[in-house]
Amino acid sequence: MKGLAKSLHDRNLLPYVLLVPVLIFFIVWNVLPLLWMVGLSFYKYDITTGEPLKFLGLTNYKGIFENTGIWQALSKTFWFVIIGVGLETILGMALGFLFWGSAKMPGRRLALTLLFSPMILTPVAAGTFFRLIYDPVFGIANYYLKQWFGITVNFLGDAKWAYPAVLLVDIWMWTPFMILMTLAALGSVPKAELEAAEVDRLPWIKRLWHIVLPHGKFILMLGILLRTIDSFKTMDLVYTMTSGGPGNATELIAISLFRRAFEAFTMGNASALAIITLLIAIAFTSIYLYILNYKERRA
Amino acid sequence: MKTKSVSIVVMLAILFTMILSACSGNKSDNGTPTSGGNSGGTSSTSGTSGGDEGSSPLAGKKIEMSILGIGGWLPSSLSVDMSPDFAAYAKEKYGYDVTFTFEEAPFTSLFQKAAASLSTKSQEFNIIISDSQWLGAFAEPGWIVSVNEIMEQEPELKNIEWFDPVVEKAYMTYPDGTDQLWGMPQEGDVMVLYVRKDLLSDPNEQANFKAKYGFDLPQTFEDFEKLTIDKYLKMAEFFTRPEQDLYGAAVQYSKEYDYFTGSLYPFIWSSGGEIWDQNTGDVYGVLNTENNAKALETMVSIKNYMPPGAENYGIAQITEAFTQGKLFSAYQWAAVGGAMVTPELQDKVLIVPIPGYEVNGEIRRITSIGGQPWVINKFNDEDHMRVAIDFLKWWYLPETQIEYAKRGGNPTTKAVLESPDFESIQPWFRAYKYSLTEERSRDFWHHPKYSEMLSVQQEAFTSYATGGEKDPLKTLETVACKQQQILYDAGTAKNAPPAACASVK
Amino acid sequence: MAKRVRQGLYYVLLWLVSIGFFLPVFWIFLAAFKTKDQILAIPPEWFFTPTLENIRNMVIGLNFGKYAMNSVIVSLSAVTIALIVSFFASYSFSRFKPKGTDFLMFLLLSMRMVPGAAVVVPIYLMYTALGWKDTYFGIILFYAMFSIPFSVWILKGFIDGVSLRYDETALVNGGSRFHVMFKVVLPQVKPGLVAAFIFNMIFVWNEFLFNFIIGGKNVTTIPVALASGLYKTHGVDWTFIASLSLVYMLPLILMIYFFQRYLLVGMTFGTVRGEV
Repeated sequence: MKGLAKSLHDRNLLPYVLLVPVLIFFIVWNVLPLLWMVGLSFYKYDITTGEPLKFLGLTNYKGIFENTGIWQALSKTFWFVIIGVGLETILGMALGFLFWGSAKMPGRRLALTLLFSPMILTPVAAGTFFRLIYDPVFGIANYYLKQWFGITVNFLGDAKWAYPAVLLVDIWMWTPFMILMTLAALGSVPKAELEAAEVDRLPWIKRLWHIVLPHGKFILMLGILLRTIDSFKTMDLVYTMTSGGPGNATELIAISLFRRAFEAFTMGNASALAIITLLIAIAFTSIYLYILNYKERRA
Repeated sequence: MKTKSVSIVVMLAILFTMILSACSGNKSDNGTPTSGGNSGGTSSTSGTSGGDEGSSPLAGKKIEMSILGIGGWLPSSLSVDMSPDFAAYAKEKYGYDVTFTFEEAPFTSLFQKAAASLSTKSQEFNIIISDSQWLGAFAEPGWIVSVNEIMEQEPELKNIEWFDPVVEKAYMTYPDGTDQLWGMPQEGDVMVLYVRKDLLSDPNEQANFKAKYGFDLPQTFEDFEKLTIDKYLKMAEFFTRPEQDLYGAAVQYSKEYDYFTGSLYPFIWSSGGEIWDQNTGDVYGVLNTENNAKALETMVSIKNYMPPGAENYGIAQITEAFTQGKLFSAYQWAAVGGAMVTPELQDKVLIVPIPGYEVNGEIRRITSIGGQPWVINKFNDEDHMRVAIDFLKWWYLPETQIEYAKRGGNPTTKAVLESPDFESIQPWFRAYKYSLTEERSRDFWHHPKYSEMLSVQQEAFTSYATGGEKDPLKTLETVACKQQQILYDAGTAKNAPPAACASVK
Repeated sequence: MAKRVRQGLYYVLLWLVSIGFFLPVFWIFLAAFKTKDQILAIPPEWFFTPTLENIRNMVIGLNFGKYAMNSVIVSLSAVTIALIVSFFASYSFSRFKPKGTDFLMFLLLSMRMVPGAAVVVPIYLMYTALGWKDTYFGIILFYAMFSIPFSVWILKGFIDGVSLRYDETALVNGGSRFHVMFKVVLPQVKPGLVAAFIFNMIFVWNEFLFNFIIGGKNVTTIPVALASGLYKTHGVDWTFIASLSLVYMLPLILMIYFFQRYLLVGMTFGTVRGEV
């Protein structure tokens, strides 16, 4: 015990001692499972057949690369993330700017709370209810479409519409997050500079470019990064709405993964796909962080 | 220098984990059940087997049993609803107290929940209500108790006479075609046809129909026994009136779970087609035939007579549409009869066998078998195993089965189904009894790879139904190729997919 | 005068936007007080006589209390543990910048990027082997790990913003390191703590997949209960889903309402310490 207390005061050891808890978590819940997954990906382990592990080498990986379904799912996910996060950012930033000057608005707290409510809804509940909202017979979306435009759209049952339909729900759910980040980013701009710009009567565009963006860039990029990370993982929401269908119109990569692991119970195969997904994810993160100029900012 | 040591460490780590995974995998049981829990449970009861009066080794104990069943599915929850009767029975006969809890999950996730628990050798669920197609997936890893072995110890269970051999085939047997038994039927079920007889018996409708199509609307159960699919489609067309918010027919097209498949198979089978060759394990050449393509086409054509949003229709949607008065008829499971025939529709619904195909001058119909067997968790301790067996013995007593029938469940024992007033207990019992025979109903494959095969075809079929794939034969070929590969990899099929499948990946 | 009108219109516009986003949620709230037929009614019913039946049934029904309790226990414990662990780590990263800081922070973030269905496979196998499935210990610690990356990033940003002078002054005055960390630095990063708390709570509170696969009878939380109770014999159980969603959202909504200021400042990741 005395040794522990001493180490806490030892300037050389302290930094590392403080890191011990996080490292324990990291190793047990991240590194160990990851290694397990890497190992498993070289085997065939189909739980429901009761067969023992069978070493396959790279067969699982080969199977995945040759599987057009997987490439389609990756492609669908890729576009889901790009379009989704893109629109969420644009819309989020626009609305964030809109809300910027509202510090004195009556009931601002309530308005913002309502604005953020989509993020709080449990995805399973949201998915189920949007099924109802989109329903051609019982849903309000089609009711008003019929009233105002005289058309009916089978949002979730039509292969053409299912993908945009689920994308729309995702955008609705997470634009408020980007609004939040934008407000935070705008808030980080020093008031002094803004007032100076006001005095100098700088045009809006110049204010945006020279004052707001340089200061808020970091937070905005971080927001986009977080949103991209989460968007890539989308599963609950879409699975509940369409089960990845019709056909495979909305089969995102996370759904494919889920099927391999928990419908087919082919754990070796699922692990291989998981590793591939992880590598893609790491590639993405690296690129982003590079763009974020993280190191530069710290200096 | 640094990168070298890092890469050595990484390689060692990967090697280490491969070994680790290999070890963990081998820990799981394989194949046939060994003694352990099972014989432990039964040996202690050798004194009381045969269900004699007097106490059992469990006398005086308090036991909590848990049943995993399907959420929102009356037949499943009835097992727990009726358990107080069993508790009273057990108290009197064996001298122990027992309470039951019910865990549930919807169809789509029930197997996942059960498998995730069983593969940890957990006693979380003592009895599991499973869909009939999962018997293989539960049996192969050694997660459930062999019913053959139980029957050796419990002649009472062995002597139960089932209504028809199809009961044993569908709810108990794995692998298909052998005499190995792994489950016992909890709920019998077949797909039947629900029709609005108030619309059928309306004189105006009758007259108009006759004038337009040249034959009479069927009125009675016997009329429907003779109904063929082409005549049925005409009836569906006649009663499709969007302006009145009335539609002629309904089947299930949803990608979720097995909804599409369960609705499609009657069309394939009734027309003479097959979904696989049980003996060789071949799918290619068996599933993708002209006949089956036509069947698929016919089944999807029913969309024309359905409300908008048909592509999403599963069990729940059909129930909703039918009870809201939007449907003249619907293909639907007998098990949901209680929900389909609401108080408002009390005398307006006739439940009949599905339409048949005319083959060689005879009307032939083969409908899908649904329903659930229950299986006993292999990892139950002695006490829970004993109670589970006692419970099952009680379940199949005629009094229990009749009570089950009265509450809306579908029994499966010969004694009850052949009792004089059986058909009058529930409006769907006549159609149920009629269809529950080997000649008239069939189940899908009981293979451990069931889930994967199902998922493949659900995706392909829904793609066809929504216009993603235009050619029904090509759709079937895609499915056949993929399933042939799955079965070949699993060692069931001797033949690999033929060269024609190379383009399907 | 024109300015006042313009400002008024501006506020109206903002309210319209807020209500616009809130609308689908509002629709679900309304459904919690309707009967099933009213929910499915076309034309849609905006005005109706509300009923408390659904909420009553839900509360009395299967195990609601237990699942709600589980949600609270699991979420609170996990996020709290995560915050404590993250605070230690962030303090270290910020003050001492030990070797591998950047690398570790990058790794933490990229771990979060893998889809849940991927992470759950090895976690599930590991938990099975260790016997941690369906234990509070197992699921709480897992969710804690889940929450650590984000917390570390936020807290580090805030701690960076607390001048080192504070630390040095306190140490010179004879305070222990603990004193510095908890009595000097911690209070100054409150917005970060609150933001991290709320943000992580939202995710853990609504989390479904992991609780479904590595949870079980004992630790079932509400999202899993929701998914399990989706269907009733007569179709989808709309009333159940609606009332459960409503009740379940309330704590989070209240949190966002009352701690909004902290949330907005907190999301600046430490670049702002005052108002937003």
